[in-house]
Amino acid sequence: MSSLRHIIFREWNTRVRRKAFIYGTLAIPLLLMAVMGVTAWLEQSQTQSSKVLVVDVAGMVSRWDNQLEAWIPICPECFPERTSVSYRFALESMSDEAFLASDIDIMVVFDDAILQHHKAQYFFDKVPPIELESIVENDLSSAIERFKVQEMMALDYEAYKRLKTDVSLTGRDIITRDGHALGRSIVGFFFSLFLFMQILIYGMHVMRGVIEEKANRIVEVVISIVQPSQLMAGKVIGIGLVGLTQFALLTILTIVLVQGGAALMESMGWLTPSADASISLDFKSWMAGQSAWSFLLDVNWGLMLFCTALFYAGGFALYAASFAAIGAAVDQESDAQYFLLPVMIPLLASYILAILAIENPEGTLAVVGSFVPFTAPVMMLIRIPLGVPWWEVALSLGGVFFTAWLMLRIAGRVYRVGILMHGKRPNWRELYRWMTYHS
Amino acid sequence: MQSSFALNIQGVVKSFRDHQALKDVDMKVREGTVFGLLGPNGAGKTTLIRMLTGITAPDKGQIEFYGSRLKREHIAQIGYLPEERGLYKGMRVGEQALYFARLRGLGKADAEARLRMWFEKLEVEGWWNREVADLSKGMAQKVQFIISVMHEPRLLILDEPFSGFDPINAQRVREAVLELNREKNMTVLLSTHDMGSVEELCGEVALLNRGEVVLSGDVQEMRNQARDGRIVVGFRGTVMAFTVAIGASAELLEVRSSDSVGHTHEVLLRLPTDTDVAKWLHWISGHVEILSCSPWQPTMRDIFIETVENREKETA
Repeated sequence: MSSLRHIIFREWNTRVRRKAFIYGTLAIPLLLMAVMGVTAWLEQSQTQSSKVLVVDVAGMVSRWDNQLEAWIPICPECFPERTSVSYRFALESMSDEAFLASDIDIMVVFDDAILQHHKAQYFFDKVPPIELESIVENDLSSAIERFKVQEMMALDYEAYKRLKTDVSLTGRDIITRDGHALGRSIVGFFFSLFLFMQILIYGMHVMRGVIEEKANRIVEVVISIVQPSQLMAGKVIGIGLVGLTQFALLTILTIVLVQGGAALMESMGWLTPSADASISLDFKSWMAGQSAWSFLLDVNWGLMLFCTALFYAGGFALYAASFAAIGAAVDQESDAQYFLLPVMIPLLASYILAILAIENPEGTLAVVGSFVPFTAPVMMLIRIPLGVPWWEVALSLGGVFFTAWLMLRIAGRVYRVGILMHGKRPNWRELYRWMTYHS
Repeated sequence: MQSSFALNIQGVVKSFRDHQALKDVDMKVREGTVFGLLGPNGAGKTTLIRMLTGITAPDKGQIEFYGSRLKREHIAQIGYLPEERGLYKGMRVGEQALYFARLRGLGKADAEARLRMWFEKLEVEGWWNREVADLSKGMAQKVQFIISVMHEPRLLILDEPFSGFDPINAQRVREAVLELNREKNMTVLLSTHDMGSVEELCGEVALLNRGEVVLSGDVQEMRNQARDGRIVVGFRGTVMAFTVAIGASAELLEVRSSDSVGHTHEVLLRLPTDTDVAKWLHWISGHVEILSCSPWQPTMRDIFIETVENREKETA
């Protein structure tokens, strides 16, 4: 037991003190923030520059304004000013040359036929974003609708608007009393993705570690002191703990960054509502007021972190055992590709299934996937933020740990023989023989 | 009662698929001796050593360690330096040696004290805090040697321990092995192809060939037996004349050296076992000018080659 402790410590210690680990761990939240910031900035800068020319040949939605000496919308509220879209109006379309020379992004052309077939054509030199198309469709639909109501039906448009009814559905989970199922499953997916990456990255560490020990022949000295099963277990646990350490550090770092950011926002008065400067909000109250993010306050983060750690432990042991066996079976990393595929398939499948499960986290796919031991670590984490009975989590965890134990035993048999074998890469039949070999 | 044998190997058999690596091997290693395990490549030495270190187990037969059946708990009393050895690259030298000491069950302070002593003894003390990757091959070999002996095992198994060393460092390690053997009564099992080391260090040897013990016993006795009536004779004249002179009284095995200026030669002869060497010398002196005559002293290398070649001929 004492030897196992030393092996675990060596595996953990030699990795966590590496500069790559320290800088990598520090860089992850900063990189994530940078990626999110750059994405938001790119999105914003992209939508700001969309200029739309509405060519209203029949003069149904625009009129000439003498003061401005320009065509303006008859119904300004139908074409509201947005940061992402700005409209101009004309009665005649531009020539291709003039369009290309102008700063217009898209030119929408229609005549009174639109009243019949509800279609308008638009021209562009660069493919516009999909959301721009839907904004213009909505705005133009409102304007045409107004034209129909007022000019063709001779009705009062304001009265029509009051009569018009759009029903929208809002969901509410009967247990969590929350309506942000999608948001919650995205939170779950974030944890799943993290777990998937940790298993993959540190699983590969296990494989490389075994190959290194085998290649530089130190393994013979070690297994003359401890049993191969102890060495393998020590390696799996030690490297698994490196992943857990990184998880813990990232959690602490995220808490510090969020709390620091919240304190900064509070002290700088950035959370004050523009409508009433006298009200000063704290971060929690401000978040509660953000309809898109308020559900984050209701997520049981402690439970998520605890379950992620548990599923990581089981899932990592399950996959790392196979990675260790592969490492023992080959002399160099390039030979490992042949054996990696069958191990990677269930892991990659769990990731793909997790993406599919985001939109239906309580569907059959997600539920079944969260009980199959090879996909459960990644899949169950998507369901947990939505509220899963404890016994389901326990059953899933039990399955993962039992399968991990089984895999460790099977892999241990391959490992025990493989680490002393050099030369030709074994085939599957030989691996099976190693599993049944009695030393 | 304590056994006087450190190792008593009886009828050990080991097969790998269709290849029998060890065939009914019997071997006894006396306590406190330096025992040479010899054999050509592929003879089964490494397989046998791996059994002694608990890495693998025999299919048949039994191994006794100081009188009791070899078990996992005995492994702590064995030190092993494998032929193909390495060190962890991402660690410091001292840290790595301490890691192995802790794996062996030594306490931190005790381990560090022992290691410092050994580092000083083998002149690697300046490397304690250096990265393993910075070590030369010889330095790495010394560290590996220290790792195998620091816990003062009862049995030390050394597989090609001197390969990679320059003559000075090889001698330093040889002396360290002898010192451990003498002062700590440590039994040493030395597997090597370096026959000079065998002659210098080993009291007894066993020669393995194709998984079988083909020769074993005391080195000096073995060398005496291996003479087989062979003598080395120096004479002046021609080899042809000498061959004619000895006729059927002796068998000319080898012309070992010739001096064409002084017309002197040294030859290896085999005399029939019942020959009186003094009488034979007197008789041959009447025909050829004899300059010297001495019993042939076979080296372990000679014995090794002759035994293996004879065995191969028999098998063929």
